[in-house]
Amino acid sequence: MEEVIYSAESQLRSPARFVADTWADLRVSPGLAWRLFLHSLRANYRRSWLGYFWLLAPPLATTVIWVSLNSARVLKVGPTETPYTVYVLTGTMLWQVFADAINSPLQQLSNARAILTKSRVPHEALLLAGLIEVLFNLAVRLLVLLPVLLWFRSELNLTPTALALAPFGVAALLLLGFALGLMLTPFGLLYQDVPRGLALAVGFWFFLTPVIYPWPSSGRAALLAKLNPVAPLLEATRGWLTTGGTTAAREFVLVLALTLPVLLAAWLLQRLARPHVIARLG
Amino acid sequence: MTREAAVLSVSNLSKKYCRDLGRSLWYGLGDVARELTLGGGSARAGSLRRGEFWALRDVSFELCAGESLAVVGANGAGKSTLLKILYGLIKPDAGRVRVAGRVGAMIELGTGFNPVLTGRENVRVGAALLGLPRAGADDLIGAVADFAGLEEFMDTPVQFYSSGMQARLSYAVAAHLRPDLLLVDEVLAVGDLAYQRKCFNHMRKYLDEGGTLVFVSHSPYHVQSICRRGILLEGGRLAFDGTAVECLDSHFGTQLRGESGDGANVERRAVVLDEDHPVAVESVAAEATGGGELRTGEEVRVTLRYRALRGTDALWGFSIWTGDQWVCVTGGLDTTPRRLAAGAGELRCRIPRLPLAAGSYWLKAAVIDPDTFQPLALLGWRDTPQPFDVAEDPTALKNTRTMVNQLTVLEVLWD
Repeated sequence: MEEVIYSAESQLRSPARFVADTWADLRVSPGLAWRLFLHSLRANYRRSWLGYFWLLAPPLATTVIWVSLNSARVLKVGPTETPYTVYVLTGTMLWQVFADAINSPLQQLSNARAILTKSRVPHEALLLAGLIEVLFNLAVRLLVLLPVLLWFRSELNLTPTALALAPFGVAALLLLGFALGLMLTPFGLLYQDVPRGLALAVGFWFFLTPVIYPWPSSGRAALLAKLNPVAPLLEATRGWLTTGGTTAAREFVLVLALTLPVLLAAWLLQRLARPHVIARLG
Repeated sequence: MTREAAVLSVSNLSKKYCRDLGRSLWYGLGDVARELTLGGGSARAGSLRRGEFWALRDVSFELCAGESLAVVGANGAGKSTLLKILYGLIKPDAGRVRVAGRVGAMIELGTGFNPVLTGRENVRVGAALLGLPRAGADDLIGAVADFAGLEEFMDTPVQFYSSGMQARLSYAVAAHLRPDLLLVDEVLAVGDLAYQRKCFNHMRKYLDEGGTLVFVSHSPYHVQSICRRGILLEGGRLAFDGTAVECLDSHFGTQLRGESGDGANVERRAVVLDEDHPVAVESVAAEATGGGELRTGEEVRVTLRYRALRGTDALWGFSIWTGDQWVCVTGGLDTTPRRLAAGAGELRCRIPRLPLAAGSYWLKAAVIDPDTFQPLALLGWRDTPQPFDVAEDPTALKNTRTMVNQLTVLEVLWD
C-alpha cells in the first residue's frame, strides 16, 4: 500500500520521495494533458460563433496591416530576402508560438485556480495541455501559411532539408517561451503585477525582434538583436521555411543549449513552490 | 492503536496563515525560497510572523481502517485547513501527516467541475485527474450516472445543473473512485433527503468494507448518522477527542457559552438603599434540591436574597432566558403579596419538575410593588443575570434537541 507523508520539511530533503512523487505525476500527465486539451478546446469554442477563426485573426490582421503600410510606403521597411507578405506572415506566426508559449503556463494555472485549490491535480498535466494548445493553434495557422508559401514558391527557396529543420526551430521557440513563462508562474500566481507586466513586456519585445522588419546589422540596434534570445530562433526558423538556410545557426544552438537548463530550473521552482502558492490562492 | 495500524496519523500538526494579503504574498516568496534552500516550509515554524495567526496548532489524532471521524467546530476553527493538509494540497508549518493508502476528497461543492463541459466530460476529466485509465473512466461514468440519478443529464453542461445535482455528481465521482481515505467537507448539505440517505448508506458500506472517513459537517444529523468518533477544533486547537456524540455535545456547550445578550457582561453594582430604592436584590440562584447539577425533570429550588430599607409589602418572581437573552423561556410570579422584613432576607420557591431542556440559561429576578405593579428592585435586567446550566448525559437525542433549539421538555403520557 502506498504511503504518503506530509511535513514542513523542504521536499528536497527527501530526494527519493521527491523523485517518486514527480515520476508519479509525470507518468499520468501526457494522457491526462491530451484529454484536458480536448475538453478545453470544446469548452473554449462552445460559446463562440466564429470558433477557430479567432486563432487565424491576429496573424492575418497583423499581416494585412503591415503589408498595407509597407505598400503605401507609410513605413520604411528595409529589403527582405523574401516577399514582404511571406516575411511578415512567417514572422508573426513564429512569434505567436513564442508569445503563446510564454503566456501559456501562467494562463493555464490561473484558469485552473478553482481546481488547484480543491483538487490534487498534477500541474504538469495542465502545463502540458497548454503546450498542446499552443501547437494546435500553430497547426491551424499553418493552414493559412502553407498556401501562401506555395503561392510564392517561385520567389522562395523551399528545400526539403531546410523544411525538415523548421519543426526544430518551432520547438525551440516553444521551449524558450515555455521555460521563461514557467519561471514566472509561481510569482504570477501570487502577484497580479506579473501577468500585467508580462503582457507589456511581450508587446515591447515584439518590436525588438525581427518579426515584421529586418533588424539592422550594425549599431546599437544590432547589439540588442544579439542579446535577444528570440531573434536567432525566429530568424533561423524563418530562414529554413523560406530561404533554404540561415546565418544564425550558431546562435540558435547556443540559445537552445541555454534554454534546457532554464526549463529544468523553472519546472523545479514551480514544483517546490506549489503548496505555498496554493495556500495563498484560496 | 499503533502507528503502523493507522490509516491516518496526524501528529502535532500546525498551520499558520496571515490576515494581511500583502504580507501573506511576501511571506509566500520567503517560504518558496526556504523550500529551495532545503529549509523548513516556513520561517521559524514554531513562531508567528507579523500579521500571522495559527489556523491549526498542535493537532494530533489517529484513524484506523473502518473508522469514521467527524471534524466539528465553528467557522474558522481550522476544519477545511485540516482537510486540505490531509489531502496534500497545502503543507503544514509544523508536525507531520502520514496516510497509508490513496486519498479521495470532496473539499467543496462542485470541486473541479468545468461549467461549460457536460457531466459526462467532467467525470471523464475527474477520473483522468485521479489517474484512472480511459476504460476505467467509461465504467465509472455509468456507475456515477446511475448512483447520482443523473442519467438524463450527463450530456448537459454542468452550468445548467442545480446545486443539488452538482452535489450528487461530486459525491458520486469521489465515492466511486474507492479511495482508502475519503475526506468529505460539507458537500451533502444541499442534496435532497433521499439522496443524503443514499450517500449515508453508501458511506456505511464503504466503512464496513474497510474504508476510512473524515467527515466535516455542521449538521449533527449527518455527523451522528455516520461517525463514531469526533474531534472538536476551537481556534485551530484540538479541544475535544472522543465519540461523535460527546464531541457534538461539547461543541454545542461551547457555542451556547459563547452566546450572551447585551446585558450579560454588565457589572452588578451594589445598590445604596434610600427612599427611591427601598429594596435591593442581592442575588438569585437556582439549585438542585438534591444537590449537584440541575437536570431536566428534577426538583429545583430558586432563592432570592434581598436587602430592604424598611418592612415592605412586595410580590416577587423570576424569569428564565435563553443563552442569547432573546427569548424568555418561562418564569414564575408569586401573586400573593408578602412582607419583606427590614434588613437582609431570603425568598424561596420550588419548581417540582424542571421543564427545561439541557443547555445554558440566564435567570433574572424582580421584586414588585403589589399596588402599582412597578418593580421595586431588579436583578439581571440592566446588569448581568445569573447564569445556570441544565445538564443531560450526552446522547443523540440531546444533540438533536439542542440542534433544533428545543427549550422545554413536555411531560407526555404516551398511550
